[in-house]
Amino acid sequence: MSFTVRFDANNQEIVLAGAIRPHSGDELIEVRRTLDHALDAVSGALYLNAKRLVQLNNAGFHEVVTFVRRACRQKPDLRIVVITSSYVGWQERKFSLLRQLGPNVVVEQYDKAFYPGQSVLEDSRFIPVLRTQTKLTWRHERKILPRHGLQPGMTVADVCCGIGDFAVLLYKEFQPARLLAIDHAPQSLAYARRVATDFGIDAIEYVQGDAASLLIDDNQFDFVTCRHSVQVFDRPELILKELYRVCKPGGRVYITNEKNSHCLGEPRAESIQWTYNEVARLWAYFKGDIEFGPKSRRYLCDAGFDDVRMESFMVTNLDGDPQDFADVVAAWEGFFAGQMAVQRGDSAEFIARFRQGFQDHIFAALHPKGYAGWPIWAASARKPR
Amino acid sequence: MTASYESTAKDRVFDIVIGTGLFAADWSNCDRISSYVANLVSQRRTDSLRYANLFSSVLNELLEIAFRCHHAPGEIACTVYRGGPGDSIELSVPCDAATRTFYESAVAEACRADVAEHFVKTMLDEHRFDPQIGLMALAADYQAKVALDVSSSDRVTIIVDFVLDELAR
Ligand SMILES: C[S@@+](CC[C@H](N)C(=O)[O-])C[C@H]1O[C@@H](n2cnc3c(N)ncnc32)[C@H](O)[C@@H]1O
Repeated sequence: MSFTVRFDANNQEIVLAGAIRPHSGDELIEVRRTLDHALDAVSGALYLNAKRLVQLNNAGFHEVVTFVRRACRQKPDLRIVVITSSYVGWQERKFSLLRQLGPNVVVEQYDKAFYPGQSVLEDSRFIPVLRTQTKLTWRHERKILPRHGLQPGMTVADVCCGIGDFAVLLYKEFQPARLLAIDHAPQSLAYARRVATDFGIDAIEYVQGDAASLLIDDNQFDFVTCRHSVQVFDRPELILKELYRVCKPGGRVYITNEKNSHCLGEPRAESIQWTYNEVARLWAYFKGDIEFGPKSRRYLCDAGFDDVRMESFMVTNLDGDPQDFADVVAAWEGFFAGQMAVQRGDSAEFIARFRQGFQDHIFAALHPKGYAGWPIWAASARKPR
Repeated sequence: MTASYESTAKDRVFDIVIGTGLFAADWSNCDRISSYVANLVSQRRTDSLRYANLFSSVLNELLEIAFRCHHAPGEIACTVYRGGPGDSIELSVPCDAATRTFYESAVAEACRADVAEHFVKTMLDEHRFDPQIGLMALAADYQAKVALDVSSSDRVTIIVDFVLDELAR
């Protein structure tokens, strides 16, 4: 893993990324130049962003110390804000030393707010929503995945694994040689580990991490999945870049996403339609794009992949027990109307009408002649060799 | 270079032996070996990536010290042991008198009761990078116990015991 040190004049921010392990500071001439340029250019505050810095040896840290010391001397009024990541275990301890270099040196840990909707999504009440969803989508995906290149014996990573149920299903069905499942939410991972232990599965590695900055070397996995998650980030291209990086050349990245405004049902189609249009707006308010599904092809191409394969499938009330479908919609109602809309500050009238569409969707799902659907786009693409 | 990995062995989990010439030919060997070994020994830890990241930074510091100071020809041997929550790394390097003195001094510094403060002072005050600082850093950052085995006349072995509490915040 190599490293980059960039200065972003706009944000007055120096971004350190990768593994900085020089033999001596003299190897970092370019870096010194960047740092000096940054120091000249900024006023007020300088941000030293180490969120994506995976390794830093003591020789490298000595360079950082030297720079911060110089900055404190040359610009005594400058606030120097060091931003660390909670996933990289050594950072907090190491960087907190910098505080001693001057009263204006601030060290902050950054692990919240990767994307604006985060607090909502990481609520543990979200767990039942995810669980029922996976139960329904798996019926389709177990047949779809091989078409996108998944075969037994592969090394697989499931990024944004949620509560890990997909990883368990994938493990049982496709016997991967290695299966790494990553999520940011500790509650979800704790749940995932518990489920795996209960099922006697100890081969899945559940790890905590930031999907936009994985602690994984380049080119590690034959198949990288990321389901229902690209759509929740405000900057999907950052996630795709990481999925690309950890995928082996010739391997494939598989993503699923929705277009919620296309959820449908009969009878009571209009009310249902209204509510799901509002769901899309609600997500947009939290800077997610729940309409992402059909955009997958474009984003995969732009991320540098080739051989894009894409298909859509409709989860419906006829797939199995209609009650399962109704349960998912009930969970959505609780979550979207009961939490997200409340958090947005919506009126009681709005929320009542919003809830009605979900109720009508449930009505359609359970109606003896009714039909209810939830469309999903599965897309995968190859990292060129 | 020879390496072996035994997942079933109780204590010793990894051994690597590498000629000093080969090792010292390329600085990036430290990074490569520490990343490789860290990934292997971190399997089955609760959070394998977090563990590997920390383990790699410990091992890398040790290997870097050996890289910087190994004045006699021969082989560098690195053994990783696991016992309960802790790990132990033994790094043995061929040495002449000067090398031995260097390691004795570096280990003595790392064993000082005030190693944490001493490390901070050395890191923050020194304008030149002090190659001994790696061992102090292990003691200060990871509360590692550092010891030196000098029982052989032509080798020294640095022994580092540490516990990486992988999930602690
Ligand atoms: C909509 S859920 C999908 C979960 C799972 N893939 C599924 O289909 O059930 C989105 C997941 O992304 C996780 N997540 C959000 N931000 C993340 C980040 N920066 N890094 C890793 N995971 C993140 C959340 O914790 C949540 O579990």
